[in-house]
Amino acid sequence: MLLVIGFLNPVLAQDARQIVEETQKRTRSGSQHYEGTLQVVDGNARITEKRWGFDRVGSHGDSKSIIRFTAPAEVKGVALLIVNHADKASDQWMWTPATARERRIALQDRSTRFFGTDFSFEDLEERDNNQFDYKLLGEESITGAAAWKIEARPKQTKRSQYTHSHLWIRKDNYVVVQIENYKQTEMVRRAKYSDVRQVQGFWTAHTTEMEDIRRRSRTILKLDKLQYNVPMKDSDFTLQALRRES
Amino acid sequence: MNRKARGVLRPVLLICFTVSALFGQDYSQRGFLETRFTLYPREAPNDRAHSVVEGLFRYEGFYKAAGSLQINGAVDVRLDSHHQGDRQLDFSWWDRQQKRPLVAVRRLSGHYHTGGLSIEVGKQFIRWGKADIINPTDRFAPRDFLTVIDNDFLGITAARVTYERGSETIDAVWSPNITTSRIPLPDQRWVVVPGTLPNNVVFRDGGALYPASGHGGLRWNHVGVLEFSASYYQGFNHLPSFESALSFNGNNVVVDLQSFYPRMKMAGMDAAIPLRWFGIKAEAGYFASSDPRADDYGQYVLQLERHVGEWTFVGGYAGEWVATDGTLTVDFAPDRGFSKTMLGSARYVIDTNRSISVETAIRQNADGGWVRAEYSQIFGQHWRATANFSIIRGEPTDFLGQYHRNSHGVLILRYSF
Repeated sequence: MLLVIGFLNPVLAQDARQIVEETQKRTRSGSQHYEGTLQVVDGNARITEKRWGFDRVGSHGDSKSIIRFTAPAEVKGVALLIVNHADKASDQWMWTPATARERRIALQDRSTRFFGTDFSFEDLEERDNNQFDYKLLGEESITGAAAWKIEARPKQTKRSQYTHSHLWIRKDNYVVVQIENYKQTEMVRRAKYSDVRQVQGFWTAHTTEMEDIRRRSRTILKLDKLQYNVPMKDSDFTLQALRRES
Repeated sequence: MNRKARGVLRPVLLICFTVSALFGQDYSQRGFLETRFTLYPREAPNDRAHSVVEGLFRYEGFYKAAGSLQINGAVDVRLDSHHQGDRQLDFSWWDRQQKRPLVAVRRLSGHYHTGGLSIEVGKQFIRWGKADIINPTDRFAPRDFLTVIDNDFLGITAARVTYERGSETIDAVWSPNITTSRIPLPDQRWVVVPGTLPNNVVFRDGGALYPASGHGGLRWNHVGVLEFSASYYQGFNHLPSFESALSFNGNNVVVDLQSFYPRMKMAGMDAAIPLRWFGIKAEAGYFASSDPRADDYGQYVLQLERHVGEWTFVGGYAGEWVATDGTLTVDFAPDRGFSKTMLGSARYVIDTNRSISVETAIRQNADGGWVRAEYSQIFGQHWRATANFSIIRGEPTDFLGQYHRNSHGVLILRYSF
């Protein structure tokens, strides 16, 4: 989830792209399943808990995902289908049981928050690194580990609400540990990835903290029952499948 | 909660949770218990009640019988203080009672899928169309219109076959027996009695004449940069028209009103067009009837929508043109009643737990209008409280305006599980 990745200076850019490509290569899996617990902490420190189930088939730029809320009770059954593309923004549809119909999430609406969390619809896309230009900004220590700091700019800015992002990628295992997303000079969202553990050979952050800087709220997503390369069918990631409630 | 409600709810809850425990991981459930208090400040000539209290328990269960087969079920148990619901314990399948049933099977269907093919048979919900406020092509979606403004969908008994390949989907629906919309009760405020009638005119319910044959439809949907559909329906209007018969009883003139459901063919299309600054949704249907009593007419909706931060705006226009006038003019047609109307809604999410919204419909000739403001808040993991107030204004001759005495406030407390 959320891979943002560029180059301006030919020499440094080559390095940055290689780093990002290595990151993408190391996270390539045929499918993924997890159960996520979300704690939304608003500006007044009030906490709301939500849970969802996440399934993905395919990988980077050619993947499909379904997120289904399982809690709180009143949003149980609400689901989001994301069809990612290598060369353009994803297609997204949301299913709400109360209206018994799906609604396409228009491109211009992707900057809105996803169901009361601090993730925007765009943040839930899995993007291919070829959609971005990269620039290596330097090296920094983050959470005690040496990391590369890389700037990523979407190749066509209209596809993203963010003008650019800064990524920190750990040098020891190529895991993305922090992303800052900017609109011009203003940072609007920051994602911190922690509790990095290896699951079936994949280094994975089990905790993601997404912070909405303007709203002063944050959402902490914790992954449970994480599995890779689970047998899944393409036909379970269609509009028909989205309507099949479970 | 009175003894009768407890008597019904206990066995229903017992069955639901026993089923859940028996089927374990292959079974999932959800539902809610809702209490709704409605206050009407004004009195209506045929309804002196100012307040209505309603209770609704809804339970939905989903059982994965095999990898490709799923059983879906839902049941409603209702009670209210205003005799809008039946108080006899009769299970309802076809939803043809005048009153809301005490216990209704809301959904019971088997769903099988393999590859791009999906087949669902049984009582289910089928929604066509893309617009949000009025859907001319939504022919398999009858509603409970007991309180016209606050309505809810009724399930229909049908077989639905859907085939999806790439960006194309074909949807075929056939139903052996039409489920009709539930209309307002004659002795309550949502049936407006003309004030100019002489005292010796008495209206009598002549019952309903339901269609004897089935209905069906076909829809093709394309998903791409543009999303569009074409649909065809053949069957009956799920909203009634009325035939009247006059008789004399002493000095009284008795008018027997019998409802019937005219044959209908519909050809329709809908589209969603994402533009840079807003999305456009359009939907249109042309309705023809072999029944000379019914109009041949067309209806269309054009709406724009846009999300800005925590705001969601939807605005549009619903229009209609009549190609051939039918011989009958008395019908109950909220769908047409909302045409030639400007429609709009705005919603603001205050924070994770709170939201406010405003919805409005104003007739183009300004003869009628409705506006509803709502505040909703979640408490913890299970509770939601909602308060709204609807104001209705207009001329008695207008579909919306006729309900000008029915402005009301509603308080809803819901426990979801």
